[in-house]
Amino acid sequence: MYAALLSNRYLTSRLIPFIAIGAVGLCVALVVTVVSVMTGFLDMLKDSGRLIVGDVIVTSGLGGIPYGDELVTELRQHPDVQGATPLIDTIGLLRMPYPHGPQKEVSHVQVWAVDPTSLATVTDFANDLYWRPAADSAAAEAMAPEDPRRTLDGTLLEDGKRLAQASSGRPGIALGMHVSVGNARQSDGSYLPRYGWFMPGHDVTLTVVPVSGQGTIAEPREQVFPVVNEVQTGVYEVDRNRVFIPLAEGQRLLRLDEAWLYDLTAEPDADGNYPVIGRTPARVTKVLVRGRSGVNADELKREVGAVYAKFAERIEGDPARTARAPSFVNILTWNEQLRDLITPVEKEREMMRVLFSLIYIVCAGLILSIFWAIVVEKTRDIGILRAVGASRLGVMWIFLRYGLVIGVVGSGIGVLLAWIIVRNINAIHLAIGSDAPSGAWIGAYVVAGGCGVGLLRAAIKGRLLSILLWLLGMLVFALAATLLMLHKGTLIWDPSVYYFTIIPDRVDWTTAWTTALGGVLFSVIGAAIPASKAADIDPVEALHYG
Amino acid sequence: MGEAILEARGVKRTYAFGSVGVPVLLGTDLVVAEGEWLAVLGSSGSGKSTLLHLLGGLDRPDAGGGEIRFMGTPIAVTNSRALDVYRNRDIGFVFQFYHLLPELTVLENAMLPAMIGGWTGLASARRRDAEAHARTLLDSFGLSQRLAHQPGQLSGGERQRVAIARALVNKPRVLLADEPTGNLDAHTGTGILELLAARHASGLTMVMVTHDPEVAARATRVVRLVGGRVE
Ligand SMILES: Nc1ncnc2c1ncn2[C@@H]1O[C@H](COP(=O)(O)OP(=O)(O)O)[C@@H](O)[C@H]1O
Ligand SMILES: [Mg+2]
Repeated sequence: MYAALLSNRYLTSRLIPFIAIGAVGLCVALVVTVVSVMTGFLDMLKDSGRLIVGDVIVTSGLGGIPYGDELVTELRQHPDVQGATPLIDTIGLLRMPYPHGPQKEVSHVQVWAVDPTSLATVTDFANDLYWRPAADSAAAEAMAPEDPRRTLDGTLLEDGKRLAQASSGRPGIALGMHVSVGNARQSDGSYLPRYGWFMPGHDVTLTVVPVSGQGTIAEPREQVFPVVNEVQTGVYEVDRNRVFIPLAEGQRLLRLDEAWLYDLTAEPDADGNYPVIGRTPARVTKVLVRGRSGVNADELKREVGAVYAKFAERIEGDPARTARAPSFVNILTWNEQLRDLITPVEKEREMMRVLFSLIYIVCAGLILSIFWAIVVEKTRDIGILRAVGASRLGVMWIFLRYGLVIGVVGSGIGVLLAWIIVRNINAIHLAIGSDAPSGAWIGAYVVAGGCGVGLLRAAIKGRLLSILLWLLGMLVFALAATLLMLHKGTLIWDPSVYYFTIIPDRVDWTTAWTTALGGVLFSVIGAAIPASKAADIDPVEALHYG
Repeated sequence: MGEAILEARGVKRTYAFGSVGVPVLLGTDLVVAEGEWLAVLGSSGSGKSTLLHLLGGLDRPDAGGGEIRFMGTPIAVTNSRALDVYRNRDIGFVFQFYHLLPELTVLENAMLPAMIGGWTGLASARRRDAEAHARTLLDSFGLSQRLAHQPGQLSGGERQRVAIARALVNKPRVLLADEPTGNLDAHTGTGILELLAARHASGLTMVMVTHDPEVAARATRVVRLVGGRVE
């Protein structure tokens, strides 16, 4: 009771504790803001990563999995599975149509030969196709005049969804958005064609190298594809490298398609042909699986493993089959598959958390020194309290409670501040990115002028401290005004350079509460040392010398 | 004369200055009878304050240097919790320099020992009793208009009256006053003595330390502290 009364009075009767509250608040706000934004980026990365590969990925060696369509069908029948899609994943070289002239640019690409319809049930493929007509006339109005989407009909989108050019009937290719140099990213995250190269409609030549089951390389094979659309997944690494072609084309190019099987040990017939013993099945190298909502990826991974084992066993036990399913395939969750992408960001976030948390120690030190000074100043009062019956613990509690209040209020303000900053981070980012409104710097000059008047009055009165404070205020505001006036908008994360259009604006509440708790804890720790000193004060000496 | 309420038995107190021990009390015996007003007279530096601190449980005698008895039982100098309670309930202390807390109002200062003594809820009966008692005391000391003031806004005499109200708020058996008029002009000092005399008249036991024989003359009994012993 008296401890509460006194700690409140000590708090409100001087300015210094508010500096401590401000320091704790800033520390907490900084940690919460930084970690929240990084967590947001990480979640964004994970979300888009998951939308690219599905929940569980089955990967075989280059020899591939035969009867992949049967495996996919069996997977789809499993109650936990929402969709499954077969694909072939390989590397290739892409000869671009540019520049003009005989010399063409060649890029190395990651080729995904896919069944676009079922791929869309597992990944966000259909939604990732970039070239599509504007949603409505208002959206079209908002686009740049030269934006190709203004004049598009649905043809490109339909071609992209089928990976085939309807007008020519040819199988088509969809390029990752950054495979071609023709796409220039704008500051609103949209794209405009550059150097006159709007890729859809142009032909590109894809070269791939078939690898036999024994691991030997066969003659490279190439095919010309019309570009039917471009794909933006949101993960730069993917959009920079990946191209999509129809599964059948990939199987054919890589000799993973269905083929006659000849008996090379028998005598060839009159035409020099060996006798046919059967047909080898088409193969795929990957199957992507999407779970029903609510199914955990690790659970799904076990289920997919069981389905595969049954499938392999069935093929093995069937004498009519000409191929066997590989007994070993790699089954990974999206999280494991994308580990290389996610882990560095996760580590960075934890580094940030630890580094920024070090400033707590600074806060604790600040509180310690402020409180130490207060305890020294209040030595006589502590002696009085002891003389009228306050216990050592009671005296200690005055200062611990004082630290607790500073910690709680400071942390609360910090979380609130972080919430305000994070919620408005895009607006703040934009404001920093544009020129300061003239009102802001004129206002700051006016305040600086006001400080000048205060300075003059203080100088007339001859008060040194006031002179110094007014001078400081004037300089700070004049400097701020000048900086605002000179400030030319520069976006820190320019979306034309960085691969995201919005900064995550959600507070990571787990971090917020743990950080606030840390703030309170360190404030109390900082207060505990002077509080113990206060408890140790000898009342007689305190009264004698205080 | 009533029964002995507070006793010092062969009390020794030595202050250490580095390795040198400076004895201040050399086996002091003192018996305070219930209801008396005892003045302890002594020159400056004779150890009057030291004796009062020992009687009030603020300080402890040297090891093996006698004991202080309150109502016949030695005060538990080793039990700091019991000592806190003793200082809070059984004894009231008035100092030469008032020693009020500058951040608290007059009323809060006067109520401080009651607050320390503890009450549970804000609305508890004890709190109301304590507050009523503090108000009555301050009222009778002519401070009813000053309850919400800070000590810094009061004169020396007013501050000392607040300090006396604080010493009395928990209704102690004994009031210990260390030169309560020592910092006041003669007129104000007389006012304080009148006030204490009135308290004594209504039954309060008082031990007052002073170097001023005129002040000591108001008491019912005077002893001298000379050479670390009571004469
Ligand atoms: N806390 C202390 N530490 C060291 N010496 C002290 C302390 N308190 C008092 N003394 C010394 O003890 C002697 C008696 O002091 P005190 O009891 O205050 O005398 P009085 O109150 O009679 O003037 C003085 O010499 C003083 O310097
Ligand atoms: Mg003295």
